[in-house]
Amino acid sequence: MRFKLLDRIVDLKPGVSITAVKGLALSEDYLADHFPQFPVMPGVFMLEAMTQASAWLIRASEDFQHSFVVLREARNVKYADFVAPGQTLTVTAEMLSQTERETKLKVHGMVDGKLNVSARLVLARYNLAEGNAARASADAHVIRQMRLRFDVLYRPTDCSAGASAGNGSPATVNRLAINPTEINSAAIQ
Amino acid sequence: MRWFWIDRFTEFTSGQSATAIKTLSLSEDHLHDHFPGASCMPNTLILEGMAQTAGLLVCEHGGFTKQVVLAKVSKAQFHFEAWPGDTLTYRAQVQSIKDDGAMASVTSHVNGQLQAEAEIFFAHLEQLNSRGDKLELFDPYDLFSWLRLLKLYEVGRDADGNPLKIHPHMAESDPHLRSSAVAAS
Amino acid sequence: MPVQQAEVFEKVRNCLVDALGVDDDEVTPEATMVGDLGAESIDFLDIVFRLEKTFNIKIPRGELFPEDILSNAQYVREGKVTSEGIAQLKTRMPFVDLTKFEADPRVTNFGNLLTVQDLVNYVQSKLP
Repeated sequence: MRFKLLDRIVDLKPGVSITAVKGLALSEDYLADHFPQFPVMPGVFMLEAMTQASAWLIRASEDFQHSFVVLREARNVKYADFVAPGQTLTVTAEMLSQTERETKLKVHGMVDGKLNVSARLVLARYNLAEGNAARASADAHVIRQMRLRFDVLYRPTDCSAGASAGNGSPATVNRLAINPTEINSAAIQ
Repeated sequence: MRWFWIDRFTEFTSGQSATAIKTLSLSEDHLHDHFPGASCMPNTLILEGMAQTAGLLVCEHGGFTKQVVLAKVSKAQFHFEAWPGDTLTYRAQVQSIKDDGAMASVTSHVNGQLQAEAEIFFAHLEQLNSRGDKLELFDPYDLFSWLRLLKLYEVGRDADGNPLKIHPHMAESDPHLRSSAVAAS
Repeated sequence: MPVQQAEVFEKVRNCLVDALGVDDDEVTPEATMVGDLGAESIDFLDIVFRLEKTFNIKIPRGELFPEDILSNAQYVREGKVTSEGIAQLKTRMPFVDLTKFEADPRVTNFGNLLTVQDLVNYVQSKLP
């Protein structure tokens, strides 16, 4: 199973907040065990979706300076309801404060406008090279991969909004919007 | 991905405490996304291992007849990362079990060092399906199979220190145990 | 506040800070559990566990948070608690002043009734 708990980032305000979605499909193999008679998203995956949203907010806000952005603390993680296959969990993370090492966030997840889960999180960020200079190339590799993943997750449809967020080139967005006039002029040439 | 976040119990005292281990291996798919090129165990999956250790301890106290689900984590702290090749040791202690739920405190150790700690709340679920029948999360035989994989009945002890007996709810679900009981009677 | 009550208040406050993730200074005697401190039903279980452990007392189900009365068709009609239901609440929770609630006994109002002081009074009543 791929450990990607978000399908798309729908809103991003660097340094402030992020909203992302995860749809639950019956084809996700772990559902066969959780639970065999009552398949629902595991609570820790709801937490992981909120953690990953928080991590993307941190990464995008600092232009991917660190390779490792990890959960250090979770407080008051409260589950109000289940997420069933066919439903979409919309997660939002708001940055509360940040030090050089750690970020505090308030997070929640909603299904159909109802609150399903909420928590307060602390995420830490660092590079492996800080402990061992020889690991700098591993950091560079992780950061490169995470940038590519971010470009897949966050594709704002508005060109100017995409450019100002500093991610994915306008060309990426335009390729998806086919203009009939352009096709005709290309055919003439 | 199977939803098994502990490999087996090494200690289990009914209603009190349980210890389980989880070994981390590069052959696990999810490690290659967290993160691509440098893998460490996601802390939420460590939390799940802690919850499974404590949840089965709570569930066993009710003879595996109650539906136990994760309801709240009041506090979870992760002090350092765990890496492929590490073995995580989860130890759960029951703090309280009541009719509507239970609370356990759980730790995670790697090489004798405290890697994580959490306070976990479980609710005893009374769920009905669309027909109004009581919903079971697991078919008893599926649950029994999982408990056997975890070696629960090999290391388990009751509160008096005697080997844990297979619970009637579990034994009834197993055709082999049922037929042995009939043959013996 | 007499010494013993002050001690009880401080211990109750610590339980609420741990259970609800609120700050010390948010837990005032007048603060309501649901409205001010944001307690939800799963938090009630957490609070009961912590109070039992801290004070070495037993809190029977529904004695502190009477969800069974508030969800019982016998005591609730059209979203309001009946006089029979109010009588039940009074017996169950002598440590709470129900006068305001009686004036407008909507079930949805009940959550805003219970204050930190009520909790302190309850714990005190259970101590030897």
